[in-house]
Amino acid sequence: MLEFLSYGFVQRGLIAGTLVAVACALLGVFLVLKRLSLIGDGMSHVCLTGVAVALLTSTSPVYMSVPIVMAASAGILKLADKFKIYGDAAIGIVSAAGLSVGLLLTALAGGFNTDLLGYLFGSILTVSTGEAVLCGVLLVVVLCGLKLFYRYLVSACFDEPFAHTRGVPVQTVNLILVMITSVAVVLAFKVVGIFLISAMLIIPPVAALLISCTFKQVLGLAAAFGAASVWAGIYLSFVFNIPSGATIILVDLALLLGAYVWSKLYAL
Amino acid sequence: MRAENVRFAYGKTPVLENVSFDVQAGDYVGIIGPNGGGKTTLLKLLLGLEKGAGKISLFNTPLPAFKDWHKIGYLAQKSPVSQSRFPISAEEVVLMGLPQRLGSVVSVGELKQVHAAMQKTRTRQYAGTIFHDLSIGQQQRVLLARALVSRPEVLILDEPSTALDAQSREMFFELLGELNKQHGVTLLLITHDTGEVGKHISKFMYVDKTVVFFGTKEEFCHSAAVAKHLGPFAQHTIDHLHNHHGHCPLGESCEECAHGHAEGNHA
Repeated sequence: MLEFLSYGFVQRGLIAGTLVAVACALLGVFLVLKRLSLIGDGMSHVCLTGVAVALLTSTSPVYMSVPIVMAASAGILKLADKFKIYGDAAIGIVSAAGLSVGLLLTALAGGFNTDLLGYLFGSILTVSTGEAVLCGVLLVVVLCGLKLFYRYLVSACFDEPFAHTRGVPVQTVNLILVMITSVAVVLAFKVVGIFLISAMLIIPPVAALLISCTFKQVLGLAAAFGAASVWAGIYLSFVFNIPSGATIILVDLALLLGAYVWSKLYAL
Repeated sequence: MRAENVRFAYGKTPVLENVSFDVQAGDYVGIIGPNGGGKTTLLKLLLGLEKGAGKISLFNTPLPAFKDWHKIGYLAQKSPVSQSRFPISAEEVVLMGLPQRLGSVVSVGELKQVHAAMQKTRTRQYAGTIFHDLSIGQQQRVLLARALVSRPEVLILDEPSTALDAQSREMFFELLGELNKQHGVTLLLITHDTGEVGKHISKFMYVDKTVVFFGTKEEFCHSAAVAKHLGPFAQHTIDHLHNHHGHCPLGESCEECAHGHAEGNHA
């Protein structure tokens, strides 16, 4: 049953997938509560630009996408703040820009090829050791950030104007949150693909929010759901020979359904 | 708390123009005015939540350089709870009123302060309850505890009693009056409820795109500027104040009353 664990590429995929899923779930809790959950969707579309530029210039899609997605995320916050438009509209604008530029560059690069399809639909089993290490660094940064800025983050999520009156640098907190999320999104597109990244940011936190009584419980459960979906998703994809990215997200959805039923049974 | 020639506009629509006033320590200021008159915007400008033109000073420090936010307590018009169930206890909400610092550990001293503030607003029994699960009135009392927990010298409140029942409202205003009289806390309170609050307030500020009037309750009752601006509603507002007292705040020295200019319950 655990035969699949003996393969090196599976081990790397599991480790990287678990690390990035936990990071995404933890970040997702704050994004969901700040009603910024679709920012992951916007960022993932911008990833296409990064991948297209990388394919055009024969560089690493991951390293090329990080600065591009970070700039786009900062753009979303600026648009919402300076032009006084709703966050979802700002995400929509940047997302459309990212997707169109990405498609244009893809056409210039000679159209879709297998590499690009791998990024669109995920290829967790092609994760390199360097990328797995990067996933580890990301999770360490997320955990340290959470430990250090926990009270700032919770306060800014719960009531942004009031947090401002307590001296919390709300805009800086928001900027740091979306910058770290940008890195997580770029690393996650190898795991589940550009199309499904936002699910890793949204579904585990929403499931955890349904059945938790404390904020720390939400963080713990979201991380556990994220990790469990990667393990179960990879196992099922190996057993039934089906795409791993989509399977991981379907496991996430099953966990969400379970959490919903639990919340109804125990009247949470 | 001083404002000098403060102006604010949403795009090209002016909201506030030429706003100047000086609130002294120990004042209990009732801010009244029509809907859309800029009352909430004025409070947001004082708290740095909106940026306008002109000069605002808090505790003799220009607003951009002001850092002692623990000296100011704030209670907004609307509860911050969204549709999502935010899994945070009432105690944790009150904790947010203390100066925020790095780390996640809560000290014993901080907890004591939180419980004392909750005791004051009679919400101690809800300490472990999820904030989202409390009624709107209970939430508002918890949020008042959050505004009080840092032992502020100034309290800024934006229509805080809207969601409260009659008993809670009375308790609420009694508490504010006590904070003002016994602890010298300066209060700025937006209210439409001049009758209930009238017995505690020492000064009125009438805001309608600018500060139409700022002075004592007695001056307010006989202000020509207020009468001109409010028209027939001036008498209604003044009657509201007098109803509560049963007599004119100026007593026998009130020439207006002596000449019987005012009607209704104006004694």
